[in-house]
Amino acid sequence: MPTTRPTKKAVAPASTAKARPAATKKTIASEPKSRKRTVQEAQRDSDDDEFGDVAIDMASDDEDMDGDVEDDDEDDEVDAFPEEEGQDMSAADLEDDNDEEEDSEGSYMDGDSIVDSQEENEGDEAEEDDIESDFGDLEDDIDPNFGHNLNEPRPVESDYNPIKREYPEIDPEYDSDSSTEENENTVGNIPMHWYDDYPHIGYDIHGKKVMKPATGDELDKFLSTMDDPDSWLSAHNFKEGQDVKLTAEELEIIRRLEGNRIPDADYNPYEDQVEFFTSKTEIMPLSAAPEPKRRFIPSKHEAKRIMKIVRAIREGRIVPRKSGHVPPKPKYYNLWNDAEDKPREEHVMHITAPKMKLPTHDESYNPPAEYLPTEEEIKEWNDMDKEDRPKNYLPQKYNALRNVPGYGQFIQERFERCLDLYLAPRVRKNRLNIDPESLIPKLPSPRDLQPFPTRLAVEYLGHEGRVRSVSVDPSGLWLASGSDDKTVRVWEVATGRCMKTYHLDELVTSVVWGPSKEVAVLAVTCGYKVGLILPEKIFSPELTLHSEEYLKAGFANSATSEVNPKATWKQPTPAEFEQGIRVWVHLQKPVKQVTWHRKGDYFATVAPDANNSAVLIHQLTKHQTQQPFKKTKGAVQRVMFHPTKPMFFVATQRYVRQYNLQRQELVKTMMTGVKWISSLDVHPAGDNLIIGSYDKRLCWFDLDLSSKPYKTLRYHQQAIRSVAYHKRYPLFASCADDGNVQIFHGMVYNDLLQNPLIVPVKILKNVHERIDALGALCVEWHPTQPWLISSGADHTIKLFS
Amino acid sequence: MDSLEEGPQVQVKFVTRQRQFAIPETAIQTPARLRRYGLSQIINLVLQNEGEKQRPFDFLIDGEFLRTSLAEYLEERNLSTENVLTIEYVESMLPPTPLSSYEHDDWVSAVQVHRQGGFLTGSYDNHVRLWNRQGECTQILAGHTGAVKAVQWLTSDGDNGTLLSGALDRSVLAWEYNHSDNSYSVLYECRGHTAGIESIALNATGDQFATGSADSMIKIWTTTVPKTSDHIEEVTETRKRRKTAKDDRILKAPILTLSAHTGSVSAVVYNPTAADTLYSGGWDHSVRVWDVENHVNVTTKNCEKVVHALDYSQHSGLLATGHADPVIRLWDPRTEDSSVVKQTLSGHQNWVTSVSWSPSSSYMLASGSYDGLVKVWDIRAKGALYSLSHGKGSKKVFSIDWSDDIMLSGGEDNQMKIHKVQDMSGRADALA
Repeated sequence: MPTTRPTKKAVAPASTAKARPAATKKTIASEPKSRKRTVQEAQRDSDDDEFGDVAIDMASDDEDMDGDVEDDDEDDEVDAFPEEEGQDMSAADLEDDNDEEEDSEGSYMDGDSIVDSQEENEGDEAEEDDIESDFGDLEDDIDPNFGHNLNEPRPVESDYNPIKREYPEIDPEYDSDSSTEENENTVGNIPMHWYDDYPHIGYDIHGKKVMKPATGDELDKFLSTMDDPDSWLSAHNFKEGQDVKLTAEELEIIRRLEGNRIPDADYNPYEDQVEFFTSKTEIMPLSAAPEPKRRFIPSKHEAKRIMKIVRAIREGRIVPRKSGHVPPKPKYYNLWNDAEDKPREEHVMHITAPKMKLPTHDESYNPPAEYLPTEEEIKEWNDMDKEDRPKNYLPQKYNALRNVPGYGQFIQERFERCLDLYLAPRVRKNRLNIDPESLIPKLPSPRDLQPFPTRLAVEYLGHEGRVRSVSVDPSGLWLASGSDDKTVRVWEVATGRCMKTYHLDELVTSVVWGPSKEVAVLAVTCGYKVGLILPEKIFSPELTLHSEEYLKAGFANSATSEVNPKATWKQPTPAEFEQGIRVWVHLQKPVKQVTWHRKGDYFATVAPDANNSAVLIHQLTKHQTQQPFKKTKGAVQRVMFHPTKPMFFVATQRYVRQYNLQRQELVKTMMTGVKWISSLDVHPAGDNLIIGSYDKRLCWFDLDLSSKPYKTLRYHQQAIRSVAYHKRYPLFASCADDGNVQIFHGMVYNDLLQNPLIVPVKILKNVHERIDALGALCVEWHPTQPWLISSGADHTIKLFS
Repeated sequence: MDSLEEGPQVQVKFVTRQRQFAIPETAIQTPARLRRYGLSQIINLVLQNEGEKQRPFDFLIDGEFLRTSLAEYLEERNLSTENVLTIEYVESMLPPTPLSSYEHDDWVSAVQVHRQGGFLTGSYDNHVRLWNRQGECTQILAGHTGAVKAVQWLTSDGDNGTLLSGALDRSVLAWEYNHSDNSYSVLYECRGHTAGIESIALNATGDQFATGSADSMIKIWTTTVPKTSDHIEEVTETRKRRKTAKDDRILKAPILTLSAHTGSVSAVVYNPTAADTLYSGGWDHSVRVWDVENHVNVTTKNCEKVVHALDYSQHSGLLATGHADPVIRLWDPRTEDSSVVKQTLSGHQNWVTSVSWSPSSSYMLASGSYDGLVKVWDIRAKGALYSLSHGKGSKKVFSIDWSDDIMLSGGEDNQMKIHKVQDMSGRADALA
């Protein structure tokens, strides 16, 4: 402030002179701010200064008093500043206020007293209140009266003229941004050259002209710059038309702006963040107040509103929208899209068109030379009728693909293809997708079905002809065999030692041990005879003696009974007796087979040529012979006693008949389906039987099941000669002319509902050499062990274990 | 030794129970590719055996003979080559050498060696033959009417001796012979079986013998010579007497009959250390242990095959059985379990009809089979040690007997064959 003063002083005289055109008759209190400053300055500085200031103000009041400025100032002071003085007083002379009442008169000498007097004029009654209020306000603020003045306009002097009102001075100090300027030009941001022709450069806030400050010439400027060391720090204010000395703060601002920094030095762009909500969780809640009730009592109001909606939904006034319901979009069909992007979905019964044949070498544009037709071929092709041609083109050679002309037949062929596709009916072929493995019945592994014979153990060598028949005695120690060399041999099973040889006069077709352990007897068929042999020295003396008597007993009986002409029981010759032969039964025709009843008393013989008396049943103890069938149907091949029941099986060429011997009736006829039965065996339980046939078949009959074969097995390459069940193990075997022996696991269950299980477990190949189209002739199982004995045309007998 | 440095190496430690061949028990680096022969060379090298003194050795790892190279052995068992392998070595049994073969008139079905005396053979010509060690047939004992299936020495004292024979004629005959005056006589006839005699076994004390027969019975008899015939209720006696016209023999009845077998009893053998314990095997697939004193069938062991032959080793305490299949089975009769086969020896091609433990080794075993071979086994080895062809072709072998250094075998080819076998007695490693 002190720095500006010299300039102001210098300006003052000129301004007074130029202020005259401002035609403001009315005396309006000057700007309180400026006035206040003047008062303050007056107090600090000398009296001269004070007068100077006042003079400016007076000049605006009175044009005429040019010369005596100071006097006018003195006069007007009383009128012009009635309140201001009071204000000043309140601001500056706080202490005096307390003494106002007492020294009211004395204060006439001072400005203060004037104000007081004026206030008295307004109303004496209010005086005390005012003072009091003044007094009270002093503590709060500087100027209580000023607040009054701002709030309500006060009628001046006369109450009868309501229009003319004296408005309070605009005090820009409070709430005004222009408060910093003492005498601001208010023209705004206009080109200042508009005022070039005027002595003033604008108006201050009170409407008074602001005169152009005196501008010295260049020399003055220069001098002033030279005088004033700070002149380079000043800026020209065009609005005011004067140089303004920049303050240190302003310079600082400029410097900061030039440095591209924020002008305000105090402004910190990087202030510490004040967290509105702290990120830290407070340990203690802000309030210890208990949860208000409204937090957990449902709002009645909301319940009401919800009930309203619910009721509306129930009554159907509101239809709730289905979730996810999207209103269907209208469909538009692209009528003009003739080329569909996706192929149409195939119909269920769609049958794809057959694929065209792929081109071959002769369709190449450059086929190998051997594909090119010769002249004759071309001629032949041309001569051929078009429909007879195997191909509708001739292979042709071109050097380059670009030389190949367009194919003339293309359209034609395409058309024909379309015709084919359209006219030719196509049939869907259902290809069964069955795993062939699944069709094979689930059979247990042969490994699990042991024991069964697998390897050759013992060979019985000695026969000199085909061994037609073998049989093992009930103890399992002795093996008997009958051969074409007209001998019957008895072997030790375990060692293969031939213990006995019986020389007979005919081929031995069948040997069977008597089934009873009490009687050791071997039945052999030999030509027209059936012989009963008692092997000596093999069996214990008791058994031998018992058998001897058993065999002999019949002779006494037969002497008394009538003689059946078809079978005559005869004593052997002494030589034969010495050998061991005890009984001969002479028949009318060659006997092919002998078989024992399980008890060892009866045995049956088959003489196929003897028509009706083909089958005879003989009783050993009585030396009697019966003819069970008056008439036999067909040529009898084999007979067999039922192992437990009084039944009898007769196998003719094609049928197996089961007879009940007690009732003498036919029980069942089995249709074998084979052409010529060769052999027959009945399961030890009696409910199943197997037959072998010369046409390579092996049929298993379940007697309870059907008269048709339960299973027909065709494993052999040649005619089956013999089949046999094992007496203890679930095994059966067959042998054939191919020299092979097949071993099967044949399990018969006690459960009637379960069918027998038949599993081929072993093929013994080339057991016997084929001689004269005959291979293995007979198989027999060991009675106690899972051993198989087979005999063959190669004169050998073999035991497999 | 250069060749020993090649290839992967294994650290082995050699131990032995035969002190005369002991080498320091330190781990030696040996090539893993070495087999029995190479290892044997190493031992001989360490022992500084040269030339004639070199001996073949067998090598046992974990009680099993090494039959492959070390590397294969380790790989087979997934063993590390880093660890030290402890190998026990034993002197190899030298291969049996055939000494001689003696022709018979018929199949030789039974042979037996007397440890001091000669040989005894039974034949299908119903005769029992006596041989001395020089291979001379000193006596032919005729008296049976069936093939002799079993022979048993009782005593042999120089020129005199007694013996037993069983035959298919259901009788067991006790014989007395005297070489000096070339005479023999039947001491007594044991009668009671109703089918052929399959086997005779003498107990340790020599006062009892057992017979197994095809009639599924085992009968126990005493060896005392009775003064008079026991009374035997035999229905056919008179007739048989009359028919066969035999001289009067002193008949003997069994003191005991053991009947539990359900098939032919093919083999009986006494436990030489416990006089009362009898082992039997039969066609009913069972091996039975009997307490003769109390006539109790102590345990029964079952398998799936017919038992043809049986022998008991007093050293290992194991029963070896030959069956109607090519497998020899070893049983521990002390276990109660009914069907535990301790070990099986496979190698034959046909039924094994005869087995005989080495009298001096707890590991050695000989077997004769229908495939015509006599095999010598060491139960620590996987296969047979030696296979001896009995005769020409593959004729059945019916009976073998192994005494100390003699192995007899008789078979279908009418031959009694004698093999010289290395005597294992006295060897530290022979007994377990």
